[in-house]
This record gives sequence, C-alpha cells and structure tokens, in this order.
Amino acid sequence: MFKNLKQWIDERWPLTQMIHLGIDEDIPGGSSFAYVLGSTTIIVFLIQAVTGIWQLFYYVPTVDHAYDSLNYLRTAVPFGWLIHGLHYWGASAMIILVLLHLARVFIWGAYKRPREITWLAGILLLLVTMGMSFTGAPLPWDERGYWAAEVGTSIAGSVPLVGNLVKRILLGASTMGQLTLSRFFILHIALISILLIGGLAIHLIAFRKSGSVGPWDDKKRAKSGRFWPKQVFYDAIVGVVVFIILIGLVVFLPPPFAGPADPIDTTYVPKPEWNFLFLYEALKFFPGKLEPLGTVGFPALAILLLVLLPFLDRKPERNPARRPYAMAIGFVATVALVGLTVAGFLSNPQNAQASKAAVSTPVSSGKLSSSAREGQNLFHSLGCSGCHSVMGSGGSAGPDLSNEGISGRTRDWLMNQIKNPNSHNPNTIMPAFSSLNDQQLTQLVDYLLSLGSGDNLSISTPIPSPQAQAAMNTTPVATPQISPEPTIIPTSQTDNGGTNTGSATTNQEGPPGLAADVMGSAQHGSVLFSNECTSCHGNQGIGGVSNPGSDDGEVPSLNPIDSEFVDQNPQIFAENIDRIIQHGSIPSGPNPKLAMPAFGETNTLTQQEISDIEAYVLQINHVNRTQLVNPGIPPKQFFLITLAVFTVTGVALSLGWWFRHSG
Amino acid sequence: MGQEKEGTEDGLKRRGFMELTIAVLAALSGLAIGLPLIGSVIKPSLQKGQQRFARVGKVDTLKTGTPEDLNFADITEDAYIRSTDLHSVWVIKNSDTNVTAYSPICPHLGCRYKWQADSDHFVCPCHGSVFDKDGKVLAGPAPRPLDTLPTKIENGDLYVEWEQFKEGIPQKETI
Repeated sequence: MFKNLKQWIDERWPLTQMIHLGIDEDIPGGSSFAYVLGSTTIIVFLIQAVTGIWQLFYYVPTVDHAYDSLNYLRTAVPFGWLIHGLHYWGASAMIILVLLHLARVFIWGAYKRPREITWLAGILLLLVTMGMSFTGAPLPWDERGYWAAEVGTSIAGSVPLVGNLVKRILLGASTMGQLTLSRFFILHIALISILLIGGLAIHLIAFRKSGSVGPWDDKKRAKSGRFWPKQVFYDAIVGVVVFIILIGLVVFLPPPFAGPADPIDTTYVPKPEWNFLFLYEALKFFPGKLEPLGTVGFPALAILLLVLLPFLDRKPERNPARRPYAMAIGFVATVALVGLTVAGFLSNPQNAQASKAAVSTPVSSGKLSSSAREGQNLFHSLGCSGCHSVMGSGGSAGPDLSNEGISGRTRDWLMNQIKNPNSHNPNTIMPAFSSLNDQQLTQLVDYLLSLGSGDNLSISTPIPSPQAQAAMNTTPVATPQISPEPTIIPTSQTDNGGTNTGSATTNQEGPPGLAADVMGSAQHGSVLFSNECTSCHGNQGIGGVSNPGSDDGEVPSLNPIDSEFVDQNPQIFAENIDRIIQHGSIPSGPNPKLAMPAFGETNTLTQQEISDIEAYVLQINHVNRTQLVNPGIPPKQFFLITLAVFTVTGVALSLGWWFRHSG
Repeated sequence: MGQEKEGTEDGLKRRGFMELTIAVLAALSGLAIGLPLIGSVIKPSLQKGQQRFARVGKVDTLKTGTPEDLNFADITEDAYIRSTDLHSVWVIKNSDTNVTAYSPICPHLGCRYKWQADSDHFVCPCHGSVFDKDGKVLAGPAPRPLDTLPTKIENGDLYVEWEQFKEGIPQKETI
C-alpha cells in the first residue's frame, strides 16, 4: 500500500528524489560522533520553532499583557511550563551548539574551497541566532528582558554617527515602550526567523553540493560511509540526549519569574544574557570615548574576520597541526570569549558600586572596626538605608548620614535618637528601634560615627530644615523614588474614644490594585522588602518592632502573617495583603505612633514593586506566588517518565540487537 | 575506497537496526513533545471557568421571606485578564443562616424576570412564565424551576457564586 502511495506521489511530485537528495550522501572517512553538531542544532531549532509557535497560542505582545499572558501559559496551561521552558533553554542550547559547530568546522578546515558559501551561510546563521536571542529576551516584558533590551539598544546607540538613529529605529520611539515590544516581537517571530530559515536552506544546499569534508588525513579518508543511516543514527542518539538534558534543565532549573518590567525601578541591577556577557565585560576595557570601539569596533572586526576567513586562508591544507597561525588565532579568540564570559558572569555590579564608594571615602569597609562593620550590616538589614542615604546610596526621606561621624553629635545622642527619636523631636517620623539590644545599638552607632571625611564628600541630599521635617511629618511621602517613612498619625485621627472594635487594625477602604493580579518576583521582592519594610516589620518580616500607643504594642509580624490574610490560593492571598499595601491601615489603639502607609495610593511604590513584595511576603509564609496551577503532568514526574521511556527503549533495542547479532 | 560493511549480511542487519532505532527515537521524541503540545491547546478548551464567591450584602439588612434584587460586583477571570463585572441576583432570606439566591435569568430563553409583590410570584415578561417563591414553575413555557446559585454566609455577610446555565432545557446545566 505504501509502495503504491509512494509511486502515486512520485508520478506527481519528486518525493523519492527529494529523499535521496536529503539523505543519500557519502561521508569520506565514515560517520562520526564528531559530525553530529550541525544536525543537533537543527533538532534544537525545530524544538525552538515548535515551542515558539505554540507560545503564540497564549502570549500577547503588548506591554500590559505580555508578562501576564506568558505567566498564564507557564502556570495555568497544561504543559505550558514545558513549552516555555524548552524555548528558554533551547535558545541557550542553540548558541552553544552553533559555536561548537563553528569551532569544529574551523578546526577541520571545512571553510576552505569549495565550501565558502556553506561557511558564509553558517556565519549568517550564527549572527541570526544571536539576533534571535537578543530580540527574544525582552518579549516576556519582565525585569530581565526589559533591562537587557534597554542596555542592548544603548550599546547599539553608542555606534558613532548612526548610533542614535539605529537606537531610535530599534525602540520605535525615544524610550522603551509598546512600539519597542512590537518591533522586537516582529523581528523575532518573522523577519529574523525568515532570515534563519533562508540561511539554513542555503547552508544545507551548499553542504549537500560539496558534501562532507571528512578527515584531513588521506589514510582515514580512504574509508567511506553513508549519511543514511549511520550518521543519522549518531545524530538521533545525540539529539535525544540533548532533548532529555533540555527537559531536565526545564524541570530542575526552570526559567526564573523575574517580576514585571519596571522602568523606574532603581534596585534592579541589569545584566545581559550569558551569551552577551563577553561584550558586557569587554566594555570595561574601553572607558569613555573608546567605548564604541568595544561595543561595535571589535565585534564588527571579529565578524569581518569570520566572513573573510575562507578568502584570507586559501591554502588547501586542512591539518590543524600544519595551520599554526589559524589555530593560534582560534585558540586566543576562544580563550578571550570564554574568559570574558566567565568574568562577566562572576562580576557583580552592586559590588562594583560598593567598592567604588569605598575607594572614594576614607572610611572603607576594610578600615571599619568589626563592631562598625556589624553596624553597617544592621544599617541595611533594619531598613535604615530605605530613608537615609550614605555616600549617595539609600533613600532620601531622612537626613543624609554620609558625614554623621563629623557632625558633632555624641554617642549618647545617637543611641537615644535610635531608641527613642521622639526625645529629640516630638514630631519626627523616624520609628523607634527600641527592640535593639545594647550591643546592636553600640554597633550601629560605631558605624554612624565612622562615617564622614569632611572635605571631598558632597552631601547628596541636604539635611532637611526643621520646617521641611515638620512638613514630612504630616505628609505621606508621595514621590515614587523616595522610600516612605511609616506614617505618623495625628492624635485626632486615632483617638477612637476607647471604642475599640476589637480589630487590631483599621484597614483603609479600597479594592486590590493592579499588583494583586501580577506574579511578582519573590527574589526581587526580598530586596525591596529589606529596603522598604524591615524598619517596621523587622528583618524578614519577623516583627518585634514596637508601636507605642497601639493595642498590640508592636507592628504586626509578617512572618508568619495574621492567619486572616492567608490563603493557599496565591491570587487570593495576594489580594488580601494588596489592599493593605495599596491603601494602608491604621492600628487600633489610643494613640498608635506608627501606621501602615498607603504605598500604592501615594505611588510611593510602583505596582510592579508591590507585586514583587507581595510575592516575597507569600514566600515567607510558604505560599508560592508562581505555583503551577495546572501542570498537565507535574514536571519531575514528566522528566522521570520521559527518561524511563527512553532508557527502557534504548535497553530493549540494544538487547534486541545483541541477541540478533550474536544469534 | 573502503565501505562500512554496506553489502554484507552483517551490514544489512546493522542497517536495519539503525533504521529501527532512528524511527523509534524519532517517534518517542515526537510523542514526548507532541502530546504536551496537543494537551496545552485542547485541555484548556474543555475546562470550565472557575468561579469564586462574591459578597453581595449584609444578611441582617434583608427582610425575611421577601425576594430582593441585589446587584454585586463579581471578579471575572478571562485567562490572564481579570475584570470586574456587575451582576444581579434575586435573594430570599429564609432565616439568619439560610438564604436562597436565584439567577435572574429565566430558564426558558434568558429574559430577566421580575418579582410581582401583589401576586407573590416571579413573572417573566417575555413569554409569561410564572414561578413561585420556591422557584417552582406555575405557568408558562419555562422547562425547569428557577436556577439557584450557591450561597454562603460569613460574619453576617452573604456571598453568592455567580454561574450561568443553559436555557431552554429541563436540566440545570452549567455553561
């Protein structure tokens, strides 16, 4: 029946010819596992194509829905986690495989006449693969992707003369926004994809025309093998192994939930995807006006060299041992690429900033006493930096403390200020850190007294005048970039005449905000929490901060949080706490000193930041904001089933072969 | 030029084994990725939308035994888009702990029926279906009684779970 069908088709369309064209080929020297890289790249490309198309069933390329729609796919659609995860890890696998393939072709000298077009199409495919990675990263419109695109387009903008124009064309506007997302989307799914398919067609046709290059040793070339089935057999084995590794990565190292893109977030430290880290690191060698040399000059030169390679190196010799210059250049390029990538991976921009600050101040952390160093840690963990700035880092709601050590205030004054700020200024908005023990107080004051040089430091935020301080006492901080102080409540607002309703707090009326519907990043939320929330809710939300005048006497702990907020459905749990974060709440009691500010209403925190903080609060209460609602098959189970099926099949086939062969 | 045992019997066996392995691995890989892809498109299409209880009012403000038409805001989840829709519901307080809620949609063809206090009946203006307080059909073409909605009372608040049902059939079937 199949023969008849094949004949029927052959009479109308050259099916058999096409199959022969595709698989019938001699391989000089025989098949080898060394030749599987190209085919494996195509297998991963097919995975990318299918999973990419499938994501479009759910993904929406608009700035208000991209993040949510992708997270819906990942958590609520059966196997959505697998589809997105394979696409995420497949992108990295593509780049690794393409580079390994390029390295093998280079070592084998397979770019030489008559294979120049195969090589050129291959270089095009390398660039296109990098382009797919660059344009794909911002599509989730999360913090990672957003900032990767921001930095990436800025690199393009540093090109002399045409940089600004190129950047504007990439962005579609003067700043990142909907038009940027639309452009990256259409480049990713259409224009660059078409280039990729076209480049692949040219590459494969050219490969078929010239055939495999085989070993450089003539003796080894004497033996001959066929592409079908032996080479395809090797390709299939490696392809399946890579496929299973990809599933393993998706299951055990799932793509992170990076939190929604927040253009005004200053706490997120952007870093490019791993495959652009070499460029990111290389830029450090080209400061100032030389920057375009690093961003564009050297990469362009490297690409030009790759393009010209078959025309510069025209000797037919393919044995690497007799091509010392080519091998040396290749070795140096590989070491530089890997070295810069590893250095970029290990570098931490936050540390870089901190060390810069340390260099510019006489009081580097290296010179701090151990007590002052502990105090420095406390300064950050207690959230002091949320309001106070030191060396330009930190909030500006409170006085800048960069020169506190030379301000003339005594140790006792500072200790008193921390324990009971009202003793110095009855209207201060600073919370009392009365829960600190003597040792912690001493450490904190040691740190404060170590601050300040007197001459070369500028105070980034002037210490507010008494009038300004008084104004801050009655007006909630409403500037998005400024960290809020807990609101101090005027007596008239809290004096409930003893008619306590029994509730520990009076929540302000209002519905959940936009943040409640967004799956924030717990990881980023922990950073925001320590900046914004620890001064009242304690380190990691464990509470213990006193609130004189409130019925409870303390600011509520969030770890664990009051059970009335808890719900195992992360959406409902997030809504429950979102109302408080958006609209604030006033603790019950005769005269509570501290109240929860309306972070959302006053735009003190962005909705993106609130969603991240909510994800963190859920996490410390053992509820995962991004839990899989509908996995299809749970990830680990899926991996084990897949692994078991392939293993059993492999063993069965091997045993079958062994019995047949030995029989 | 040497060949890799192509023509020998052993070579043919080897070739058969490799072709079989390629076919099996391709088929299994196709299944491993194909089934999840199909599942991701088909399964969500067959799932019913999840409903949640929405607060409609205080129980102590309702008059016992008298149907009242209450409006409430219900959060609707359409995939990843959440929106708030206004719905109305007929509620009858039987006691402080027991309230009946009726969908305001006539089970005949979807018109909105009304309470007629003088006759103590619900009457649909479209085709004249008449229901008593218990939702029972007294007259007209309605194929089934009024559709009740799940309710719960917590801390004196009445919550209703909004649902819609197929019209024109004798069974109460959720859409």
